[in-house]
Order: sequence, then structure tokens, then C-alpha cells
Amino acid sequence: MTNDPKSDSLTELELQELKERSKAPNYRKVRRVPESDGPGTPTAKAPDPDLPTLIIPKERYTSADHMQREWQHMWTKVWLLGGLEADIPEPGDYIATEIGRESILLVRQIDGSVRAFFNVCLHRGNRLRPSGISSAETFKCQYHHWEYGIDGRFVRIPDLDTFPQGAPPCRGLRGLPCDTWGGFVWFSLDPNVEPLRTFLDPIPQHLDPYQVPKMVLTRDITVEWSCNWKASVDAFNESYHVQGIHPQLLYYLHDLDIQIDCYDRHNRYLIPFGTVSPRVRKPPSIPDPIKSIMKTAGMDPADYDEPLENLRRDVQAHKRRTGASMGKDYSQLNDDQLTDDYHYLIFPNVTLNVHADDLMLFRQRPHPTDPNQMFYDIWTFELLPDGAERPARPKHQHFQHGDKSIGLVLDQDAQNLPGVQEGMHSSGFEGLWIGSQELRIRHFHKVLDDYLEGRVGSAK
Amino acid sequence: MDLGLRGKRAIVTGATKGIGRAIVDLLAGEGCDIALCARSEDEVESAVREVATKGTQVIGGAVNVRDADAYKAWLERSVAQLGGCDIFIPNVSAGGGMDSEKNWWKCFEVDVLHTVRGCEFLTPHLEKSGHGSIVIISSTNALETFYVPMAYNAMKAALITYSKQLSQFIGRKNIRVNTVSPGPIYFEGGAWEMIKSTNQKMYDSTLRAMPNGHFGSPDEVARVVAFLASPAASIITGANVVADNGFTKRVQY
Repeated sequence: MTNDPKSDSLTELELQELKERSKAPNYRKVRRVPESDGPGTPTAKAPDPDLPTLIIPKERYTSADHMQREWQHMWTKVWLLGGLEADIPEPGDYIATEIGRESILLVRQIDGSVRAFFNVCLHRGNRLRPSGISSAETFKCQYHHWEYGIDGRFVRIPDLDTFPQGAPPCRGLRGLPCDTWGGFVWFSLDPNVEPLRTFLDPIPQHLDPYQVPKMVLTRDITVEWSCNWKASVDAFNESYHVQGIHPQLLYYLHDLDIQIDCYDRHNRYLIPFGTVSPRVRKPPSIPDPIKSIMKTAGMDPADYDEPLENLRRDVQAHKRRTGASMGKDYSQLNDDQLTDDYHYLIFPNVTLNVHADDLMLFRQRPHPTDPNQMFYDIWTFELLPDGAERPARPKHQHFQHGDKSIGLVLDQDAQNLPGVQEGMHSSGFEGLWIGSQELRIRHFHKVLDDYLEGRVGSAK
Repeated sequence: MDLGLRGKRAIVTGATKGIGRAIVDLLAGEGCDIALCARSEDEVESAVREVATKGTQVIGGAVNVRDADAYKAWLERSVAQLGGCDIFIPNVSAGGGMDSEKNWWKCFEVDVLHTVRGCEFLTPHLEKSGHGSIVIISSTNALETFYVPMAYNAMKAALITYSKQLSQFIGRKNIRVNTVSPGPIYFEGGAWEMIKSTNQKMYDSTLRAMPNGHFGSPDEVARVVAFLASPAASIITGANVVADNGFTKRVQY
């Protein structure tokens, strides 16, 4: 053995043996609904982008310099998810949300629109409000009581006559582009950003059929994770790791027959649920994870005597048949959407596991200064049957990784990520060696590069 | 020791994989003709093909034992094709679960009724054998509390009582009736292989309960079943033989 990596490569025979040991299993393709461009969520396969198979350099995850470039060329050029419209129904209701070192106020206006302002007093720079959701008649700075209306305009500047230069030469708080879609409030740090709909395209066409605004929030959690925000985005953008860290999901979903679709900025994959991975043998009975799918659909696993391979289709047919009587409107969804996971990445930092009856949305936010830390926001939603009583909004929880469980699957992801971040700092590692099951990761980094190199974003 | 199994005709339900499959493999190896069944036609076909390589007559049928008529028709066909029946091993089980009350009906129909129906239907044929032997497959779940109060555990217990009662009732027809209660048995495609992935905690705690640190295998259970099924076990009837690798902790006086 030598330390020279080049003379360390495998012999032809060794390579053959490695390939033999490492083959992906063969499988029969899962039955899917026909390809369509709509109406409803398009199912057509998008052509795969032609991306080079180069290593993705690890410095993207570890370097403060790269982090700074991301801030300058990407975070300040895109639309960002700020919060839920349902949290600010009345004029004066607001969300104070943070991105990087910025804090932004998203405020419901008298005319029903939402406006965004920098959460900073123009006098001495004090934060006007702590982060969170609340309501205000005016925004009055606690320091010297400069006061702004919910429309951001100056209401009162105490002793203004003692400022020989007068009031700042503006109407009040500095505003930002702000818009709503899908029950969510979006803002941008770029005053010249393109319209939200243009930025989001084609996501609204894909997700509107799910009627997310009709769903209710069931969990609102922020966990501080010891990894770069992109390591978290990556973790949700491939199914290859299921066999690695989620062994129980091999008895729940098909982790190889995945339809990957990359669009301009955003991407998705479609994962068949209610079926067993070709990596495991056919089990003797319905696996517990799949039983949970049946129970949610109102089916009794003890009453199901069909072969397991029929189950996904039978759940779809059952939901189609009984949905309306259970108070669920599935009319805009195709059959696969009744069982499967349609997973989206809205560039740069929102990942969504979208299902007919629920939505798991994760927002990954960078740490203000440390590339090795991030904020992982979990919002889960449930579609309630018509007429069901809406539960109280869950309180926001904020904790460090490991302090509390966030559920088995997410705990498995969370436990894994600090090791990934640590390893990236090793001199024995150059960068990410990405396979075709991870095409979305490659696409995501390509889009990020488009921003960093000025190919997209407003010209400024 | 010659078990005296050569030329015997055995009917085994649920025998395409796991314990049932190990039983038919072993019995065929000892010279028994075999009739086996399972629900999946493909799996029955390939099991028949593979077991037949031992050189005895092997027949099979795709049947859901919950369907009494189809099940009886298959038993009838099997007896006719084998030219009689010396050994009956009802092995099919509905397995565990606490999904709803239907689990109780399903376990009752599959675990209990299929055993009872098979024993009743085959008694005249086993009597003709002169060495008739029934080996019912129960479970250690019947003997000690296990996991949750599921129908599976209680129905497996019913089988032990039924077996003892039946042994007294048909003893004078020279038919012996015994039960084997396996502990957790690991095999590829079995429940424990799945549980290892879907419920790591349960798998680990079950494994810790094994004094020798590993699960029992289908072959080990099959050897106990084959002995009880054979004329060599002529003195044993009405017994419940625990084949559990030391998994249960009670003292068996």
C-alpha cells in the first residue's frame, strides 16, 4: 500500500468484484398513473438535466467565505418563506422571522395584504420586536419610543424638534417585496426580485391541487442542527439513504423506483408509498408502517387478505371511493397522490413531503455566522375532514438537536447530520461523490451556482 | 436412530417458507410423500418443485385455509393423491396484530378452525394408517406473556388445550396428537427479519432473552416436529414440546 491515491486504485479484477458485490437490486416497476401535464399536479417526467459528474467541493459546506458568497448572491436575491398566512389573520398581526443576520416583520395590513419590513428602528438600529408571532397596533421601539404604524410609516418620533437634521428622509420602516401563495407569506431581500409567481413556477401548479391552505398546522418546531443548511437540504433530496439510516422504511416505500423531475430552480421526486422495497424479502404479513397507511385511509389491516403487491392500488381505490364520505376532497388529486410521497424542493431552502392528507414542510435556515450550524424548522399540517373542529395552534418549540425526539425517521436523519458535517472538515475528504439516485442534489448545487455566478437573480 | 418415516404420507399446511417449509424438506428427506399448501400459487409451485428433488412424491395446492370448502377440497384431493395420510401438521397462522376485533376472527378461523377442521377431516384416514400422528404448531406466546394482548397469543393457547383433549379422544384410534411451541424463529422472509428493520427495540430485547444469544431456526423446530410425527415417538402423545432456545423463563415441571 502507498499513500499516493493514484497508485491506490483498484485492479480490473478488484473493480469487477466490487461491482458484483454492490449492484442495485432488480425490481419490477411500480404501477403509476399515466403521464400528464395537468390539469392537476403534472405527472409527466421532466427530462433529466445534463449535469457533469464532478465532485461537489466540500468547502461549500464548511467555508465562511462560501457562506458569505451565498448571502451576497443567493439569500439576498431569492424569495424566502416567511410564515403562515393563517397566523396573521387580522390587521396588525405579524410574524417576526429571521434569515441570516436579518430580522423581518411580515405584517397584515388593513386592506388584507401582507407587507414586509426590516425589523429595525431607524433611530439607533434597535430590533423592534423579538422573533415570533404576535399582534401590534403600532411598532414602538422600546429604546426611545420611535413609533411606526402597521404600514411601516412614522407615527411619532419623540422630541423630533431636537433633531436639527429632521426625521430620516423616508416614510418609515424600510419595506421589502412581500407576497403570498399557498397559504404562506413570502418575502425577498432583493428590492428588484422577480414576481413571486415567476420565481415559484411551476410549483403552484403542482401543489395547489392539495389545497394546503385548508390544512391545519399540527407541529411548529425549530431545532438547531450542527451542520450546514445544505447538508439538511441534501438529506431530504435523495432516497438512497433509506437503506442506510431508515431500515424500517424499506417496509413502507419503494426507494428505487423514484421519479425525479428537475425544473428551472426547483425539483421534486415521487416516491411510491404502501409498498415494500426490492431490497427486502416479501414479509409474511403487512408491515406495521404500511398498516398505518391503511388505518389513515380507514381500512382495517386485519380485514385485508390480498397479496401485499395489490395493497397500494387497493388503498388508492379505497380512498377514491370513500374520501367524500370521510369529509376529504381528493377530487383534484390523481390516484398516486392518494398514497405516494410527492416531495418538492422549493429553492433554496424549503422541502415538502406532500401527501393527500398531510404535509411535512421543512425550512432550512443558515446560521447567521457559522457554516457548521443551521436552523431546521418543522411545520407539519393535516387535512381535517370537512366540519371537523380545528385544533388550537401548536406552540412553537425551539431546542437543540438531541434534546427532544422529533419522531423516529427525523431523529435518524438528525443523528446522522453532525457526523456528515464533521467529516466534511477532514483532509481525507474532497467533496460529495454523487450518484444518479441523488440527481436532485446535483441539480440543487447547479442552481446555487447559477446564483453565485450571477446567471440568475436580479441584475444588481 | 431410524425414525420410521420412510413411505409415510404427510399433509402440511403453510409450507412454502419458514417452519412449514423446513418441516416438508426434512420429512421428504426422510422419505415421506408430501402434500403442502399455501396461498400463493407461484410459491406453492416452486416449493413443490424444490421439495420434490428429495425424490418422494410431492403435491401442492394454492388454498386459503380460511375458506373451509376450498380447504376441505384440497385435503380430500391430497389424501386421494397420496393414497392416504399418516401425518398431519397444521402450521398455517394468521400471525400477530392488534388492528381491530377482526384479528380475533381471523386468528380463530386461521389458527384454530383450520387446525380443528383438518384434524376432524383427516381422523378416519389417520386411523387407517395405524401410526397416525398429528403435530400442531403453537407458540411460546401461549405460555408466557408476549408483547401485547393479541389474539394470536390466546388462539395459540387454545390449540394446546385442544391438542391435549384430542389426544385423549382419538388415542384408541392409534393417532397421537402433540403440540410444538416454537419460540421466536428467525428466517429470511420471516416476521423477525422484518421486525429487525421495523422495530429494532423489540428485536433487540427478544434477542437478549435468548440465553445463547441467537434466534432459533426453522430447521431446529422441524427436527422436533419430525420426531414427534414419526413412529419413533410412539410413547409421546398429548405433549406440548417447547422448542424455544431457552426464550421462555418459566420452570416446566
